[in-house]
Amino acid sequence: MISAIYSFAMTTGANRVVRGARIEHVCGDPGLGPEKDYAYGMRIVKKALEAITVPVSGPTLFDPHEGEAVHAS
Amino acid sequence: MTKPVRVVHYLNQFFAGIGGEERADAGVSMRPEPVGPGRALQAALGDGGRIVGTVICGDNHIAEREGEAVAAIRAELESLRPDVVVAGPAFGSGRYGLACAAACRAASALGIAAVTGMHPDNPAVEADRQRVVIVPTAESATGMQPALASLARFALRLGRGETMGPAEVEGYIGQGKRRVWDRGRPGYQRALDMLLDKLHGRPFTSEVPFRAPDRVTPATPVADLSRAAIAMVTTGGLVRKGNPDRQVAANATRYHRHSIKELEALTPEGWEAYHAGYFNHLVNKNPNYILPLSFLRDLEGKGQIGRVHEWMYALPGVSTPVAMARQLGRSIAEDLREARVDGVLLVAT
Repeated sequence: MISAIYSFAMTTGANRVVRGARIEHVCGDPGLGPEKDYAYGMRIVKKALEAITVPVSGPTLFDPHEGEAVHAS
Repeated sequence: MTKPVRVVHYLNQFFAGIGGEERADAGVSMRPEPVGPGRALQAALGDGGRIVGTVICGDNHIAEREGEAVAAIRAELESLRPDVVVAGPAFGSGRYGLACAAACRAASALGIAAVTGMHPDNPAVEADRQRVVIVPTAESATGMQPALASLARFALRLGRGETMGPAEVEGYIGQGKRRVWDRGRPGYQRALDMLLDKLHGRPFTSEVPFRAPDRVTPATPVADLSRAAIAMVTTGGLVRKGNPDRQVAANATRYHRHSIKELEALTPEGWEAYHAGYFNHLVNKNPNYILPLSFLRDLEGKGQIGRVHEWMYALPGVSTPVAMARQLGRSIAEDLREARVDGVLLVAT
C-alpha cells in the first residue's frame, strides 16, 4: 500500500506500507519539474515493488526517502 | 392487565429435537406450542408473553436455499402475527447464527420486532449486527438459562414496542448506529471526570470504544518480480474522464474495474479524479500519481516486472464505513486472486 498518510495505513493493519509523497500526488511531485517528478515517482514505485518481495510479520514501513543525505545545520 | 406479548420462537432442527446433522436439510415447519428450549423461554417470559408458535428449519436448508426458506418463514409469521420473534439462541454455531439472523430479518421485513442471541464471535454477528438485535450469550448451550432470561427480557420490551437505548446500557451487541441522545452533562465535564478517574486509577468507561484494527496475515513475498503479474488498485477516486460510470465522490458502495491493456500511461484526456477527500487538481493533470501505470509500463518494458495486469480497480476511499470497505476490498482481492495476480500496488490518497 502506497500512502502519504503512512502512519494511518500502518495502524489500520496494512502490512507493507510504502511512504508516498503527498496526498494530492502520492507517486511523484509536480513541484520538482517533469524529470525529477518522474524519477521520484519511480523511486516510490520501485520501493513498493521491493516491499512485496520482502517477508514481513506485521505492519512494516518501507520508506523511499531512506538513505537520503541528511545535512546537519 | 395488558395482553401478553405474542411470541414466535425460531429453532433449528437440533434444538427442536428433530435430529442432528442428518436432518440439517429439513424444510420449514411450524408447531403451535413451545418446543425444546422454548419451554424454558416460556417460563422466563412468564405472564408477560406467550409463545404462539415455533418455526423450525434445518440449518443446511436455510443456508443452501435461503430465499425459499425465508419465504416459508415469512408465510408462517404472516399467519401467526406475533408481536416479536425470538430466534435461537445460537451460541457459537455459525450456521445456526446466520439462520437466526435471517429469521430476524424476515420478521423485520414484515414490521415485526425480533431478537436473537449468540456468542459475540459468531460469524453472524459480524454479518448482521447492524440489522438485527443480538444479545450476547455463552459459546455453548451450557449458557442456555441466562441466554433465555436475557432473550425473554428483550422480547417483552420489543414486543411492547419499546425503543431500545444504547447498546452499552441495554446490553445487546452494538449495531453501529448513532442516535441523538442527551447524556445530561456536557462533554467537557464527562471528559474531565474520565480523566480524573484515569489519573486516580478508578474504573471509567470510554464513550468512544476502541476497535482494534484487523490483524491480517501478511501475504507471502513475490519470489521473482521479473516473472510476476502486478496489478494496481487505487482509492484515489480515479474515474474515466467525465465520470460516465457515475461513481460517487465519497461513501462508495461499489468500485469499478477498467481495462488498461492498451494503455501506456494514464492521460488527463482519458482520466480524472472524483474524490471528496483531497484537492484533485494535480491528479487531474497527471492521473499516474494515484495509479502508477506509466512507471509500471516502463519497468515492464525493461523486464523488471513480468507484466502489468490487464485490469485496474478504482474507487474513492473516503467516508466509507469499515464494514463496506472490507466488503469491497474482499471482492477486489477475490477477483485478483482468481486472475492469478502475483502482487498488487494499492495507492491510497
